[in-house]
Amino acid sequence: MEERELPLKGIRVCDFSWYAASPVATKYLADFGAEVIKMEYSAHPDLIRLAMPSALGKENDLSAGGWFNNQNSSKLCLGLNLTHARAKEIYHKLILASDVVWENFSPGIKERLGLNYEDYVKLKPDIIWIDQPMQGLVGPYKYTAGFGSLITPFGGLSYLSGLPHRPPVGTGTNYTDYVINPGHLAIAVFAALRRRKQTGKGRHIVMAQYASAVSILETAILDYTVNNRIQPRMGNRISYAAPHGCYRCKGEDRECIRYSTIGAMPGRKDDRWCVIAVFSDEEWEAFCDVIGNPTWTKDPRFSTLLGRKEHEDELDRLVEEWTIQRSPEEVMMLMQQAGVPAGVVQDAEDILVHDPQVRARGYYVYLDHSVTGHSAYDGIGYKLSETPGKLTRAAPRIGEHTEYVCKEILNMAEEEINEYLVEGVLEVG
Amino acid sequence: MGEQETLLGDIRVLDLADQKGVYCTKLLADLGADVIKIEMPSGDPMRRIGPFFHDEPDPEKSLYWFQFNTSKRGITLNLDTADGREIFKSLVKTADVMVETFPPGYLDEIGLGYLVLKELNPRLILTSITPFGQTGPYMDFESSDLIAQAMGGLMYLAGFPEDPPHKLHGSQAYHSASVQAAVGTTVALYARELTGRGQQVDVSLQESVLMSLETAMQHYDLRKEIRTRVSREIPIAAGIGLYPCKDGHIWSYIVAGAGAGWDVILDWLDSEGMAGDLKDPEWAEVFELLGNFRALIAMANDPPALMARLGQFAHINEIVVAFLMKHTKREIFEAAAPRRIMMVPAQSPKDLTECPQLEALGYFVDVEHPELGTSLKYPGAPCYHISDAPWRISRRAPLIGEHNADIYEKELGLSMEQLAILKQEGAI
Repeated sequence: MEERELPLKGIRVCDFSWYAASPVATKYLADFGAEVIKMEYSAHPDLIRLAMPSALGKENDLSAGGWFNNQNSSKLCLGLNLTHARAKEIYHKLILASDVVWENFSPGIKERLGLNYEDYVKLKPDIIWIDQPMQGLVGPYKYTAGFGSLITPFGGLSYLSGLPHRPPVGTGTNYTDYVINPGHLAIAVFAALRRRKQTGKGRHIVMAQYASAVSILETAILDYTVNNRIQPRMGNRISYAAPHGCYRCKGEDRECIRYSTIGAMPGRKDDRWCVIAVFSDEEWEAFCDVIGNPTWTKDPRFSTLLGRKEHEDELDRLVEEWTIQRSPEEVMMLMQQAGVPAGVVQDAEDILVHDPQVRARGYYVYLDHSVTGHSAYDGIGYKLSETPGKLTRAAPRIGEHTEYVCKEILNMAEEEINEYLVEGVLEVG
Repeated sequence: MGEQETLLGDIRVLDLADQKGVYCTKLLADLGADVIKIEMPSGDPMRRIGPFFHDEPDPEKSLYWFQFNTSKRGITLNLDTADGREIFKSLVKTADVMVETFPPGYLDEIGLGYLVLKELNPRLILTSITPFGQTGPYMDFESSDLIAQAMGGLMYLAGFPEDPPHKLHGSQAYHSASVQAAVGTTVALYARELTGRGQQVDVSLQESVLMSLETAMQHYDLRKEIRTRVSREIPIAAGIGLYPCKDGHIWSYIVAGAGAGWDVILDWLDSEGMAGDLKDPEWAEVFELLGNFRALIAMANDPPALMARLGQFAHINEIVVAFLMKHTKREIFEAAAPRRIMMVPAQSPKDLTECPQLEALGYFVDVEHPELGTSLKYPGAPCYHISDAPWRISRRAPLIGEHNADIYEKELGLSMEQLAILKQEGAI
């Protein structure tokens, strides 16, 4: 597909955002053709560039980080030192040349940089301005900064996730940073862009990431406000299915490198699990057939859902006696052939390298990057038949597009650019 | 309701989604779209999902139904009848979007495949949410939220290494897919302004959670490392992770560059005489390391160097835990926040409901339920503030067939006699 067919071609985004949730959101726009311009400086980079994992042997290279790169596909980078007193001379012009402005600073930094919608809407009435602070622009915790890893506990998801007799260990990743929060906001932004197309009217959109994260707790809030019940952690169980759990399977007889609390260590590919979910009586009978109808399946304690729920610990133990002798892939295929929902608890190797479904649909996109080489990026999580979007380029180096932005967008002369470079306001990378 | 009062007030959505997509249509409805929830005449199976209002199981009292169907209208319609399908076709002509979650191929089988719908209405956007998408070798596999969280890699990363992996609370694969589907739908609505045509949006539960693996994919792609479950009951690093406190748990993210450093934390502990020996000069070198982001990253890449420090970190953690166990999570947060110390409580639904920040944001919304004789306090989802087009819950979830008269009589002009026939044959 040609770039000119990307639906957001012609939309420019002045992107002050950093870390995770907001850059993921602007990636949604960039992958559909918006010209998204990040602003960073080597001495003040988006700090997620420093985080693991880097390309092997390039641990100190700001352009080698997979976390940053993955969420900044299709974007440009202006090398601008936002801490410099003269930076505003540049970003002020860029804001006025943009359709969308996006920031996720804490209110203190936002105020220091003078990034106020109220000021800019007077200069540019059709601007769409996004504030994505952690706590909101008002309220007693307004100035309380935070990071993605704080949202899952603070927003309630950790309390509700995990095994009932264990601490609220949380979600493994900063879950709401990647789809929930950026997605919530992107829905409003695309809708606002559409309205602007129809009416020429801009918008100010504010979303507190904390509030957004609380919104996906299913019925936990209503159950408390209506029934005064604090829902407990349920592990892998739900009230209307059994077996409904995660079961250990046979490990593979080979070595691998495992990345854990203490970094990368040699290990074995033996941490293998499957999931099985039996909802109906038909699925239960099919499940029993697959495992060869051992005598315990005829035990009245297990022949009804009520019975299975009552004796679920023992049920899970018996199911695992069967799964532990098989690979998770074998369990999945045997169950699926019989119409029983089952799957593999896949790790990233399983998904990226082996999963025939993910490969057939081409979810991951490989892009050539000047530092990391040919490397994988998350693609687009929704396939549009006519305007599918496209990852048009690998993540930018700091200042990779300084010259383009200054000359083509800001109409700056060579001498002027040089002056800012010498002063440490601009950087070319 | 004037069009300009909401962002999607001119958009009609036909909602044929089950649990997988019910949040997608809620997001569109709360932004002002006219979402018509289409249920079987017997009522949608989601009405059977608890918990229930005052724990009274009743299809009109499911909190699950309430939560996910705000701002929608509801009609009953049976697509298994020829009349039902004909009525549906008339509605398709009036719609901008249709959201459905049937197994791939089902709509074609009943004569309502995309090509038929497109013929009726070329501007229609058909958004489909299925376990594995509309294509590929697993497209017909059975699934559920648990299966999708496992196949999408989320589960493998969640939990303690010594426990089995666990799914995230609720139905996060369903919610992620719903969010992705709503984004894809709004992209398609934008594109329609340019092309004048609708299109199909294909969302897979499995793919919808892949982005949330954070760095797991890149660890493998760039370094052939398999990211695993890493959590500990007491963190292995000093200041980063889950800690117990007097009445629950807090999460701490004391990382150089993120809020206050260890000097502030030690002063806090010391103010209650609980800093132990950590203010002794011999510890200065350790805290200097902990305050240097680049040095910490280097250490994380050097397991032997990290291992050599674990004893020191364990000692720091012992003192921190002793301090935290004397305080409640609320006390800890209220003391930490003004000091810019990154420690937050693992909040329960009760804590959230009582949170003054959410209150100040106007997050909670009272929604009238006249049939229950009361109003219920709902969470905002996701409660954006949008100038001149506010996000809002415009009404409670529909009763079974509540808007049949609006749609069938007023809009489609069916007579009482026709409606009686349709009712008797089970079409509406």
